Amino acid sequence: MRALIVSLILMGSCCLGQAFAEDDSVRFSAMDIYLTSAEPVAAWQFELNDHHGLMKVVGVEKGESAAYARVPYYDREAVRLGEADRIVVADYSLADVARLPSDRTRIATVHLMLSGDDDADFNLFLITATTYDGLATDASISFEVQTGSEQ
Amino acid sequence: MTRRELRVMFRVMSAVFVCAVIAVGCAGKEQAMPPDSGTPSGSQSDASGMEGIMTTGSRIESARARPQNRQLSAYADLALKRSGAGPALAPLSADEELWVIATPSVDDQKSRDDDSPGSGAMVASFPDDIDEKTGAAREIPLPLKHTAVNARIDGYISTVNVRQEFSNPFDQKIEAVYLFPLPEKAAVSEFLMIIGDRKIRGILREKEEAEAIYREARSQGYQASLLVQHRPNVFEQKVANIEPGKSIDVDIQYFHTLAYNDGWYSFVFPTVVGPRYNPPGHSDPIVPVARGSAQANEKHTTVPYLRPGERSGHDISIDVEIDAGVAIEELRSTHEIVASRATPESATVRLASQSTIPNRDFVLNFQVAGNTVKSNLMTYRDPELGQGYFTLMLYPPSDNASLARRPMEMVFVLDCSGSMSGRPLEQAKNAVRAALGQLREGDTFQIIRFSEDSTQLGATPLPATRQNLQLARQYLRSLRGTGGTQMIEGVKAALDFPHDPARLRFVSFMTDGYIGNEIDIIGAVHDRIRDSRIFSFGVGSSVNRYLLERMAKEGRGAVAYLGPQDSATNIMNGFFKRISHPALTDVSIDWGNMAVADVYPAKLPDMFVGRAVVITGKYLGATGNITVSGMAGSKTQRLNIPATQNDNSKTSISKIWARLRIADLTDRQAWEDDTHGELANAIKNTALEYQLVSDYTSFVAVDASRRTDGEFGVTVPQAVPVPDGVRYETTVEQH
Repeated sequence: MRALIVSLILMGSCCLGQAFAEDDSVRFSAMDIYLTSAEPVAAWQFELNDHHGLMKVVGVEKGESAAYARVPYYDREAVRLGEADRIVVADYSLADVARLPSDRTRIATVHLMLSGDDDADFNLFLITATTYDGLATDASISFEVQTGSEQ
Repeated sequence: MTRRELRVMFRVMSAVFVCAVIAVGCAGKEQAMPPDSGTPSGSQSDASGMEGIMTTGSRIESARARPQNRQLSAYADLALKRSGAGPALAPLSADEELWVIATPSVDDQKSRDDDSPGSGAMVASFPDDIDEKTGAAREIPLPLKHTAVNARIDGYISTVNVRQEFSNPFDQKIEAVYLFPLPEKAAVSEFLMIIGDRKIRGILREKEEAEAIYREARSQGYQASLLVQHRPNVFEQKVANIEPGKSIDVDIQYFHTLAYNDGWYSFVFPTVVGPRYNPPGHSDPIVPVARGSAQANEKHTTVPYLRPGERSGHDISIDVEIDAGVAIEELRSTHEIVASRATPESATVRLASQSTIPNRDFVLNFQVAGNTVKSNLMTYRDPELGQGYFTLMLYPPSDNASLARRPMEMVFVLDCSGSMSGRPLEQAKNAVRAALGQLREGDTFQIIRFSEDSTQLGATPLPATRQNLQLARQYLRSLRGTGGTQMIEGVKAALDFPHDPARLRFVSFMTDGYIGNEIDIIGAVHDRIRDSRIFSFGVGSSVNRYLLERMAKEGRGAVAYLGPQDSATNIMNGFFKRISHPALTDVSIDWGNMAVADVYPAKLPDMFVGRAVVITGKYLGATGNITVSGMAGSKTQRLNIPATQNDNSKTSISKIWARLRIADLTDRQAWEDDTHGELANAIKNTALEYQLVSDYTSFVAVDASRRTDGEFGVTVPQAVPVPDGVRYETTVEQH
C-alpha cells in the first residue's frame, strides 16, 4: 500500500475528574475527534489508544459532516486483540467534492470507560486521510474531551 | 459508479481498513427507515396505482373485516360478562367491526398499573382496549412504542434492520427491558443507539464485560443500551436512563437465509416470545410471568405478559423489498399486506396496518416460477484474507416424484400441555387425522401424547388397518391440553423403541415448542435418532422455531408450520406428498477445485422433492463445477451445478457461515463434554471475529457525553401480549 502516511501523531494526556460511581475508579468520557485539512477529505482512518491501559471503548458516534452518512466502523481486531483497548476507526464518503468536509471537522466521537486511579495517557494517530481523488492529503488530527462528560 | 468513484473506493478500501470493517459497511442499508406514519389500512388499491393485496391466513382474499375483530369481540365479551353489564356479545361476523370508545381517567390509571413508576404517566389511548370491569379503555403505559422492520431480500438471503423505539411515558427516569424474538438463524451483527439525531455504534464484547460496562454506566446515570442473547431466537434489549418524556431508539441489523419449500420462499419475522415451560431443576429458564408480577427478578429471564383485556401502545411496521432474481408469481402472507411490483422479479411489500397487534409471526411467502429455480452457488471472498465463503441452495431433482413409495412407520407425538390448549391442539389433531387418511396397507403408526408425562396409543406401532385407524381417531378425541411440557418424555417415547428396518420411520412432533430447556431436547434427539427421520409441525402463531428447526436438523428431516388459520389437511397432505417419494439419501458432494472446510450442516440431510437444502461453508481455491450424488431408491443420481461468479458484495455470506458455525458448536454442547470450555471458547472467538451476538458476546453502547440527573430510576419490563391463540390462563397463571 502506498501513500499511507502517518501524518500526525498526537500524544496527549488527559486529566479526568473524580467519578461519582459505585466503583470510584470507573468513569466515562466522550472524546471528540477533529480532523483539520485544507483539502476536502473523502476518507480517513485513525487509531486511539491509551498508554496506561485504562480505556475501554463503549461507543463510536457519527461526526458532524452530512457527507459521511453512516456511523464510522471500528476495527474489531483492534478491540479484540488489545490487552487494553485500542481502537482503529475509519470511514469514507462518495459524496461530491463540494459536500466533503475541509478545515476543522469533528469526524467522530469516541465514548470511553476509564478505570484505575491513574490519569489516562492517550495516543491519537491519524493513519491516513485521502482526497476526492483518492490521494493522500496532509491533515492533522486532534481531540477534545467533551465538557461535562467526565465525572 | 463512475471511474473516479471506483478509484476512490479502491484506494480507500486498500488503505483505510483492515478486513471486514469496510465489508460490513458495504453490506446493505445502514439502518432502519423511519416508520411510515401514513400507512393506509384496509385499502385494496390506492391512487398511486399500487397493487393492493389483502391476505388473511395463508390465502389471498379481498378486504373484509379487520383481523383484530375476533380478539376485540373476545375482549368485549369478557368485559361484559365480568362487569355484569349485560349479555355477552354475539361473535362478530366477518363484515362487522366493533369499536369501544372510552375516556381514560388518571384515577383508573393509578389503580390499575401496579408496576407504574409513578403518577403523571403520559399515556396513549387505544380505542380497542377494554377494561375488564368498566368497559373503558385499558391503557398500559410501557416504554416500547414502535418496532420498524425494514428487510431486503436478494435471492434467498435477507438483510433485516429492526428499529426499536423506546420512550419514557412516566415522570421519572426508567430503564426499559424488552425480551423479544428474532429468527433462529439471525446473524445479528450491527447495533446502534440513537438519541435524537445522534447515532452511537455499539461495541461487541464478551457478554460479562458488556454487562459490567452497562451496569456501571446505568448506575452513574449515563444513557446506555445492551443487547444480550438468551437463546438463538430470544434476545433482551436494555436501555438505561431514559428521561421522562424522552426517547432512545435502538437499531439492530441481521442476516439470514430463507427457507424454500415447494416453490415458495418464506420470510419470517417473529413478534413475540411465547411462554416457556421449564422443567424442574433447569438452570437457565425463561419464565412467563404476569405483568407486574413479583416473580420477576434478576436471577431468571422473564417474559411479562399482558393480562386479557390489556394492550400496550407497541405497534409495528414491516417493509420488505424483494429481488428474487427470477420471476415472482405470487405473494402470500399471514397478515394483511400491500404490495407493489416494479418488475416481474421484484416486489415491495408492507404490512397494511401499523396498528396490528404484534402477537404472531409475520410470514411472507413468495412463489417463484418453478421452471426457473436451479441449484445455486453463491460465493464471497474476503479481500484481505483470501478466505472464501459459500452458500449452496440445492434443489433436488424433480423426477424422483415418479418413483415408488416405501412402507412407512409413522410416529405422531402430540404436545398436550397447557399452552396447546384450544385451537393449537385442535389444529394438531386435525393434522394427525389427515395423516391417518394417508396411510396405506403395509404402513404402521403410533400416537404418543405428552405433557408432564407421556402415554401412547399402542404398546408398539399398529398396522394401518381400518379398525386401528378408527381406534386412533377415538384416542385423538380424548386428548386435552393441560399441565407442563416435559418434552423429554415425548422424545424418549418416540425414539426409544426398536426400529422396523422394513419401513421408513418418520417421527412427527406436533408442538408449539414452548419449553425453556431446548438444548436438553436437542441433545436427547441427537442421542436417540439412529435411523429415524424427524418431520415436525410447529403448531401455533408464534412457534419456538429454533427448537423445531434444530430437532429437524438432528433428525435429518424438516419442519412445517401450522398456523391457527391454516388448513391442517392441506399441510399434512403436502407433507405426505413429499415423504411419499423416495428421498435422495446418502448425499455426498464433489466440490471440484474448491478446497472446502467447515461445512454446515455437517451431516447432509436427505433431499426430498420440493424441499431445498442450504449448505454453507468456507473454501479456498477457485470455484468450479460441483457434483452432488445420492441414492434414489437403488439408483445413483447425480446433479451437476455449474460454477458461478464470485460476488464481493455478498459479505453477508461470511456472517451467515459464522452464525451456522456457532449454532453447530452450541448444539454440540448438548452432547459433548465441554468441561474445559473448548466449545464455549470456539463460540466466543467466532462471534468476536465475525462480530456476532451469541451466548458469550453482547453489544453495548454508552453515551458518555452526558450524565443524566439523579438515580437511574425504575426498571420497566416491556409486557407483551400472549401469542395469538394461546390461552393466558393455561400458560401464565398456571405457571
